Amino acid sequence: MSSVFFYARKDAKKNWKMFIFVIIAIAISTANIIIINGFMDGLTNGFLEKTMDTSSGHINIYPNEQDKYIEGLGIKEKKIEGMDEVAAYSPRITAGGALHYKEKFKTVKILALDPLKENEVTILLSKIDSGETLAANDRDGTLISYRLANDLKVKVGDEVTIVFENGKTRLFKIRGILHTGLAMDANTVIINFEEAAEQLNLYNKASIILVKLHDEALSGEYKNKISRELGIQKIKEWKQEIESVLSSFKTFRDISNLIIGIGLFTGGVSVGIVLYINILHKRRQIGILKAIGMKDLQILFVYILQAVFLGTIGILIGDILGYAGTKYLEAHPFPDPTLGSLGPRFHLFLIYDTSLVTMLIVILAAAFPAIMAGRTNIIKAIWGE
Amino acid sequence: MEIIKTNNLKKSYMLGKVEVKALNGVDTSIEQGEFVAIMGPSGCGKSTFLNLTGMLDIPTSGEIYIEGNDVTNMNSNKRAEYRLKYIGFIFQFFNLFNELTVMENVMFPMMLNKRPNYKERAKELLDLVGLGDRLNHLPSEISGGQQQRVTIARSLGNDPKILLADEPTGNLDTKSSIEIIELFRKLNREQGQTIVMVTHSPEIGGMADRIIHFRDGTIGN
Repeated sequence: MSSVFFYARKDAKKNWKMFIFVIIAIAISTANIIIINGFMDGLTNGFLEKTMDTSSGHINIYPNEQDKYIEGLGIKEKKIEGMDEVAAYSPRITAGGALHYKEKFKTVKILALDPLKENEVTILLSKIDSGETLAANDRDGTLISYRLANDLKVKVGDEVTIVFENGKTRLFKIRGILHTGLAMDANTVIINFEEAAEQLNLYNKASIILVKLHDEALSGEYKNKISRELGIQKIKEWKQEIESVLSSFKTFRDISNLIIGIGLFTGGVSVGIVLYINILHKRRQIGILKAIGMKDLQILFVYILQAVFLGTIGILIGDILGYAGTKYLEAHPFPDPTLGSLGPRFHLFLIYDTSLVTMLIVILAAAFPAIMAGRTNIIKAIWGE
Repeated sequence: MEIIKTNNLKKSYMLGKVEVKALNGVDTSIEQGEFVAIMGPSGCGKSTFLNLTGMLDIPTSGEIYIEGNDVTNMNSNKRAEYRLKYIGFIFQFFNLFNELTVMENVMFPMMLNKRPNYKERAKELLDLVGLGDRLNHLPSEISGGQQQRVTIARSLGNDPKILLADEPTGNLDTKSSIEIIELFRKLNREQGQTIVMVTHSPEIGGMADRIIHFRDGTIGN
């Protein structure tokens, strides 16, 4: 093996000018994967964080399948309060309705919550673009999402009429414009929980209860405990809620994987082509190697070793470029109207995974020319037949 | 002792749709320690014979024996091993590795054969061929005659039983040619090296112990 390594090194050294292009191709391909994956992670994490921050507790309690609402809210709240690991909880009512302003109507989702309780669980009420948030006992005020505000051309201080799904109507004053970066920005109005309960005749009921634990790692254990204590089967951990968010990113993932695949394919093809050309130029040398007693497999290893050698340098450079690029963009993210800013997130596993995948592709790309070199016909190679 | 023996050795290949019979039943025997020249007109099968006995190529039919062992149908790996350990090649166009120095060219087959002290042996051999002062030169930095001497040193690294030389002086001037043949004579006389050399030149051929004449793929008179 030392002779194989010796010749591979000497041959690579002799052809370093040609191999620089291979190294550049591998480096760019590697850096590309790290940065794109970093962006995907940044994007996904951005949405996940926002989801967790604004729409989910560590445990979310839903009505049982046959029910529209969680019944007996007061008793259930007491039971939840009594649990050691529960840090806070926030019941919400969600309902359909419409918003009426001057001559305009818009279908809306009504989200009713208790600001005091909600602030203990999420930071939804702090996502205010303009105006102020909803105060604890403010039953006359509402927060409306920014896109809804744009559509109806309303501003803070305007009075709007909410038409509830049971036909009741009530005038509310816009206290603030909400901007979460999530789907709820489209058409959501937030009002006081008690007010909604009164308007919708939902006393002692809720659509969902968000529960925050002292330790999120206990969510699995507490899910079962809450289910038993409250007699409710439909309870989701934050991980399950995240899964639905993640699945909505599948298309983005597929696209980014396609881009990565094309990048890897291009890198692999350039490695293969350069090694192939090198082998064509070295046909006579390969013939001599075989004539003096080098085995087919040893010749194959010469070129695989060269590919590994080039791959290692290219991947190292790519790792450094990818790391530097990701870190730079992490510190200088792109402005994004939805998330506020969009930048990659660096994780060490990006380097490990990318390096491993790229090296595999490089070896695969080198396999064909290397096998071809090993199978070279000695007579044809030496005498150029 | 018989070191090379061939029985009814045949080699044919297709040139377009025409079958060309390069060797057409060659029976020959070469003794250990012999210095044999193979001569004949172009296309008579000299080089084909050398390639087959050197296990670079596979015969269409017939048998080849090296030291009494039938090597005709050995697999690719075994053939490579045999070439490495038993046969030294010297080619007309030197065929050195351009990326390796003179010293590295000579020691490389010994490295392949995992021979200990290959550096010392390479120096010895380069001294033997008179190139002890050119160890770190690249092949492109020395003359044709010197390159051929490096090839000879390279071929001797693993102490081969047989040295096969295909037109070793074909690309050299008269002075260098005589030096190479004198080196062959020296190796043959002093070390008992078996040498089989293909040549066009009657003068060069005349310096061997025996001449085998080829004509139309067979051994002539």
